[in-house]
Amino acid sequence: MGIRTRPDAPAVSKRRRVRIFDREAPLGYVLLVPTLVVLGVFLLYPFLFGIWLSITDSELGVLGNFIGLGNYRFEWRNTDGVFYTALVNTFLYTGVTTIFKFSLGLVMALLLNQVIPFRRFVRAALLLPYIIPTVLSYEAWRWMFDPTFSVVNWLLVNTHLAAYPGPNWLGVPANAMAALMIVNVWRGTPFYAIAFLAGMQVIPVDLYEAARVDGATRWQQFTNITLPMLRPVLLVVLLLSTILTFADFQGPFVLTNGAPYNSTQLLSIWAYQWGIPGGAIGLGAAISLVLFPLLTIVVAGVLFLLRRPE
Amino acid sequence: MTQGKRARSGWSRREFLKTAGVAAATIAFPEIIISCGPQSSSTPTATIPKPRKGASIRLLQWTSFVKPADAEFKRQAAEWGAANGVTVAIETVTGDQLQPKTAAAVEANSGPDIIQMQYGWPQLYTDACLDVSNEVNILIGKLGKPDPVNEAFCKVKGIWRAIPYTIVPNAWTYRTDYFQQAGVSAFPTTWDELTTAAAKLKATGKPISQTDGHAYGDSLTMWNPVLWGFGGKEVNADGKTVAINSKETRDAIRWAQGAVKAGLVVHPEWLDPDNNQAYHANRISGTLNGASIYIREKIEFHKYTDVTNNAPMPSGPKGTFAMNLIFNHAVMKWSQDAETAKAMLLALMDKDQYMKWTTVASGYNAGPFDAFHGDPVFSSDPKLKAFQDVVAPGKWPGWPALPSKKTAQAQTQYIVADMFAKALANDGTGDVEAAVKAAETSLKAIFERP
Repeated sequence: MGIRTRPDAPAVSKRRRVRIFDREAPLGYVLLVPTLVVLGVFLLYPFLFGIWLSITDSELGVLGNFIGLGNYRFEWRNTDGVFYTALVNTFLYTGVTTIFKFSLGLVMALLLNQVIPFRRFVRAALLLPYIIPTVLSYEAWRWMFDPTFSVVNWLLVNTHLAAYPGPNWLGVPANAMAALMIVNVWRGTPFYAIAFLAGMQVIPVDLYEAARVDGATRWQQFTNITLPMLRPVLLVVLLLSTILTFADFQGPFVLTNGAPYNSTQLLSIWAYQWGIPGGAIGLGAAISLVLFPLLTIVVAGVLFLLRRPE
Repeated sequence: MTQGKRARSGWSRREFLKTAGVAAATIAFPEIIISCGPQSSSTPTATIPKPRKGASIRLLQWTSFVKPADAEFKRQAAEWGAANGVTVAIETVTGDQLQPKTAAAVEANSGPDIIQMQYGWPQLYTDACLDVSNEVNILIGKLGKPDPVNEAFCKVKGIWRAIPYTIVPNAWTYRTDYFQQAGVSAFPTTWDELTTAAAKLKATGKPISQTDGHAYGDSLTMWNPVLWGFGGKEVNADGKTVAINSKETRDAIRWAQGAVKAGLVVHPEWLDPDNNQAYHANRISGTLNGASIYIREKIEFHKYTDVTNNAPMPSGPKGTFAMNLIFNHAVMKWSQDAETAKAMLLALMDKDQYMKWTTVASGYNAGPFDAFHGDPVFSSDPKLKAFQDVVAPGKWPGWPALPSKKTAQAQTQYIVADMFAKALANDGTGDVEAAVKAAETSLKAIFERP
């Protein structure tokens, strides 16, 4: 007795497959697979590997042994005397630059949302800090802050805003921190502005027209229409920017690398100092993960606000 | 009984094997024995690595401040590659990019076959560097003793993990016209004289200047020798006991504060290229650097060549010390053609080849073996003699302890430079005790960490 194949079998299987693709939920999961694979390989694996490294005494090229929270204890006890400086600086750097980037980005977006001459050109020019390769722009800033050749100081001195030779931008702790913040704001503001502008352009014009008919002032239109309608964009941009600024490395590394005497040290650079030149990759991973619980709370808070109904 | 037998025959089994080994090596590689000279005892068992035809070798190293030196290095490597049927690629990156690239290769267990190891990297990346004792022994046979600093960096627990490559001597480059104008007839020979000279030079508006920031070369080569010159040290010779909190350290810091108050200008914001630029821009009268300032004036800018001279390190109460940039080549464990890589490095260290390269480098590089001590490049121009003079008193960060992972970590965290920078803040009026305490805390975190 051989097995008889039904002549209509292939057709049934094809129909079943088609039916699966017709149903939204299974199709959704199937389509998610490539994204999940990419996220898993490029995001989840490095993240989990980073956590694993942080609880080991690994060194570069040598996987170490499990030491529990030893690396975290080492830093939280400020054993190296630099960790708390880096922690405070990171919060200061993120807080101040975020406030400036948010405010300036909003102002820029409002201006660019108006009908102004060369509007397209100005919008394109706004993206310049983003277009220039990061390290190149930071090198240019370093050159501008250089005490010998500083164009910034030349301007300040020649406009009598500062006495010769002008401020030592990168050689004095407070100035150096301010310089780092200025460059971060310069580079980050266009991101805010463009995102806010995109958000503003989808706000229905009818709302403003109705408000004007009702006699609303510009300020009232801004606070009662623009800001509420922009809320999701504001929160998402704020969230992304906060996370990126907390982890900012390139600018501070090129400009000061923690100098003078660790006064501009940030957690990202300190993690690098221990992990890469110092070879203690486990400790470096722990330093870079110190902020993870805090950032998780921030992300959860923003997501909660985003989901909250008006 | 047994001893008696040995005494009669004069041969133990070990001695027999040793002698037979030497005889076999002599027959197999007569050229080694011929070239061994007075130190040949270390080489009879050496095996000359042979290049594999069709192999590809990638070498990663820093971009020299003297561009023609890189061109000559690449030319020699390409020439050797062509002669041996090997494809050679030399990749150069700036000094501060070299370590991140090296670290990435070590972590990925993949990358260039040969990487230039600066300072104590062989201690940091020991497992990634192949044992090259055989090749170093061959070079010792041919070129004599290696420089002690190169040896200290290359040798990890008795095994050579890198082949000594070069020394970039650091000496003072100064403007003779400004010094004469200030009434200083010669470059200071002691740190105290430097204070006096700095005061006079500052009055001319062209100060003696140096970085005390996070410059991976110039900051270390300045402040470590100052510390040693007054008897200070980061750690004892045992490599474990932190010893920075001492009277000698305070003496060194107080000297530096006095010098800054008198007129030495320190720049915490300067990185390695900044003092070069300031000198070429006629902003300063003197600075501590490799020979690149003088060489570039001589072969490129021609503005202040005649009024530029160089001087060795001044002495402190405890002697004369220097710190030079030390580069060596490691053959990495992931190399598919390690033997070819070793063969190429040996060829590049051949005395004639090497001295062609140092000639093109115009005195920026000194050779790391005895045979290079009489390199004519340094006698070709009397102004280069200072760079030869600073080789002998050279030490390494962490001295008197041997280089280790710990000393490398202390170096990359700029602990000594930061200690001085903190005390030299606000025109040399910083808190000495706070500076020493901060350095001690950081050093203890490193040296007392398991």
